[in-house]
Amino acid sequence: MADHSNEVLAPTPGERLANFFKRKDVARTTVLFFLWTVLFIVLGLFFYPKWMPEIMSKEMKSAESIMIWFTVISAPIAGIVLAITTNAFMNMHRGDTPPEDGPAIRTHGPIVAIWTIGSLVFALVAIAWGLIEINSQAIAAASDAKSAITVEVTGSQWLWTFNYPAQGIETHDLNLPVGVPVIFDVKSADVNHSFWPVQLGVKVDANAQVTTVIHTTPTKIGAIDVKCAELCGLYHAYMETNGAVMSQADFNAWVVAQGGHTA
Amino acid sequence: MSTLDKVHTSSRPVPHPKRSLITRLHMGTGVVVGVLFAAIAYSLLKNSVLTYTDGVADPLSPHNNNIVLLGAMFAWSIGFMVGIGAFIGPWRWLIGKDLTDEEILYMAGDGQGTKRYFKYCTDHKVVGIQYLVGVMTLLGVGGTMAMMIRTNLARPGGHFVTATVYNSLVGLHGITMIIAMIIVATGPFGNYIMPIMIGAYDMAFPRLNALSWWVLFTAIPVLCSAWFLGGIPTGWTAYAPLSVQAGPGMNAFLATIIIFAVSTAVAGMNITTTVVAMRTKGMKWNRVPIFVIGSTISVALAIPAFPTFMVAMIMTSLDRTFNTGFFDANMGGSGWLYANLFWIMGHPEVYVILIPGVAALMEIAPVFVRKPLFSYNAAIMGFAGIAGLSILVWAHHMYIAGWAPSLNGAFMVTTEMISIPTGLLFLVLIGTMWRGKPWMKLPMLSVIAFIWDFLIGGITGIYLSDVPADGYLHGSMFVTAHFHFTLMGAALTGAIGGLAYWYPKMTGRMLNERAGYISFWFVQIGFNVVFFGMFMAGAEGQPRRVMDYAALYKNSNLISTMGAYSVGIGMIILLWAVIHSWRHGKVAPMNPWGAKTLEWTVPYPVPLTNFDELPVITSDPYGYGKGK
Repeated sequence: MADHSNEVLAPTPGERLANFFKRKDVARTTVLFFLWTVLFIVLGLFFYPKWMPEIMSKEMKSAESIMIWFTVISAPIAGIVLAITTNAFMNMHRGDTPPEDGPAIRTHGPIVAIWTIGSLVFALVAIAWGLIEINSQAIAAASDAKSAITVEVTGSQWLWTFNYPAQGIETHDLNLPVGVPVIFDVKSADVNHSFWPVQLGVKVDANAQVTTVIHTTPTKIGAIDVKCAELCGLYHAYMETNGAVMSQADFNAWVVAQGGHTA
Repeated sequence: MSTLDKVHTSSRPVPHPKRSLITRLHMGTGVVVGVLFAAIAYSLLKNSVLTYTDGVADPLSPHNNNIVLLGAMFAWSIGFMVGIGAFIGPWRWLIGKDLTDEEILYMAGDGQGTKRYFKYCTDHKVVGIQYLVGVMTLLGVGGTMAMMIRTNLARPGGHFVTATVYNSLVGLHGITMIIAMIIVATGPFGNYIMPIMIGAYDMAFPRLNALSWWVLFTAIPVLCSAWFLGGIPTGWTAYAPLSVQAGPGMNAFLATIIIFAVSTAVAGMNITTTVVAMRTKGMKWNRVPIFVIGSTISVALAIPAFPTFMVAMIMTSLDRTFNTGFFDANMGGSGWLYANLFWIMGHPEVYVILIPGVAALMEIAPVFVRKPLFSYNAAIMGFAGIAGLSILVWAHHMYIAGWAPSLNGAFMVTTEMISIPTGLLFLVLIGTMWRGKPWMKLPMLSVIAFIWDFLIGGITGIYLSDVPADGYLHGSMFVTAHFHFTLMGAALTGAIGGLAYWYPKMTGRMLNERAGYISFWFVQIGFNVVFFGMFMAGAEGQPRRVMDYAALYKNSNLISTMGAYSVGIGMIILLWAVIHSWRHGKVAPMNPWGAKTLEWTVPYPVPLTNFDELPVITSDPYGYGKGK
């Protein structure tokens, strides 16, 4: 009867993997990976909704979702990078002479390949997400065009002027009816400005002699801040005005009070 | 000057060509001739009217004033170069002669001690030190302006400075820091260290090397003159038509960029040629230290990028002087043309800044972890991929400009693709640290800090490059925070790591460690606090470049300002450490870190021609590690 007790069996791939995770540095890196990943997910889910203003349009919702979910999907990558870095930091060598040499790892083909393909997939997800959003916003803008109201926005140093051609009024406050698509035709009387109704999550530059266009549909009643997002000279900081998204009835009443007419 | 210097200089005869003009020229004569040229140009142009309003000569128009000022500024720059002797060589060629051997040796500054730092000196080590001092000066000035900006923004309604001064601070902080950051690694280390690293006697074109530094030097007083001409209202982007409308201070900005573009073109060409042509025997491309590769890719990327900036500035100057209307829509021009020209330079430029900083850290990591650089090829692919893609992404700065909305998707694709080569840079660094025990000296700490800072900058960049999110974030403080994480958190941290690493070779002394650590933590913690506050302000909806803000943003701004003071304190400590250690630091051994690159095989002070006999290379410099 053959004695097998001294024979060393080659470990199966499963055992090798288990042994790999039993190594002290690997185990610690794994724990750190989960800690950092969770931290980044929490940061994304917690901070952006807390910081960002009220969501008053689909575009604003889309901007906020991108910020939150891109943080969440990049969390595992940040987790790996920071886990290895933290582990190295915790292994630090101090003193006035260099430490002993570490293992001579020149490269590791599969790791480089996995990392490259992983970041390619990550980039493709981000690209696909963005392209789908751009596309759906373009389709919505086209289908809403008939029912939309038009507001002609003029930026000048340092004042916003809003002209509602269908209603026949011109104001310095931006009031909009809720649920009605709006087309902003934006231009400048002098230098470049950038028209930014903050809570609506859209923005477009105002240029002299050309009209730039941006679409949105306010989805919620509330106050909005209109700001200039392009440095336009001395009082750029003060080039802001108020506005509101209001019910159709309130909007009509406001138009009439401004001396305009409702359709 | 250390005693070591004296020992060295006494060991060989000091060249002193008799009756040569070269021996009499220096920075002082340059300033005198420069001012003289400027004065002559000023009075000539002032008295000759070149502008017309409605067909009638109009000496009082702002256009005429712009001609006078621009003329005087360029005359200063040319005059200074004449006065310091930059054109003696070309003049000799013109009359069919050349400099004598003794004159060439004299121009290399051999045996002239401290004096050579103020002369048209062709020694790459002198140029490196000149760049180092220049960079630190620019960073100090730019940092002081940042402190003033944050002080004004500490509370809403702050009026620490007036609106005119505030806008000038924003613009001049921007351009000062951009100039400083472009040269922060390739200037000092690219000139001082790199030729030794590749085993060369000097740069390929030593006289052009001196030219690049002194041309840059002439841009500094021009930039400063903006303050005395009423400041600039445009920010560093100088968008037209605001820049066309702007007052006389704008001329200083335009002239600075044009002069600076000449300097970078000369320096970039010189560094590229040196690396391609002057590597020592055996230094094949796969044995070149990664810092050299990174610097070369960076300056090679700058060669096509900066001319568009120069062109944009020349066209703005023409608009402001001869009313050409390139960028004035009312005259048939287009502000979008300016924006395109600017960002065709502007996006490659951020990688021109970033790559040498990362490359310096990749040079550092193997030395302090005592492991080979992980996947040298991935590092090169990373740099090359970034450089290649970066010339195709410029219009992500223009998603909301209204210029070509249908191109937004295309530019989003190219921009997001940059995350792939960028990911490789992370892989190289974490792969190098994996299973190592990093020797936690100051250079290695910079590697750790870089990884955190660049990760934050990278992730926030991913959503800024996605068009719908940019619709909200563009032009907000969020953008400011993002690019400070990449340019300051990543590139400047890399350069400070490089300074701590190469300081012993450049000064012969060790950088004060305790001061270095204290500075490091003040700067890194403060930096993260500043821009955490700024991410918050931006997400809340605060536009950038504003001198005042609503009460809603008061917490985030206060956080930023407190962090800024911490950065300021840290930087002052670092500055003290650099100056103090230069004279009083512990004398450095030849190879304090036990590194394997060639610069550590030469003594301090480094001999004029670096090597008595050029070394022969048989492997790359990352042969650390047990086994294999």
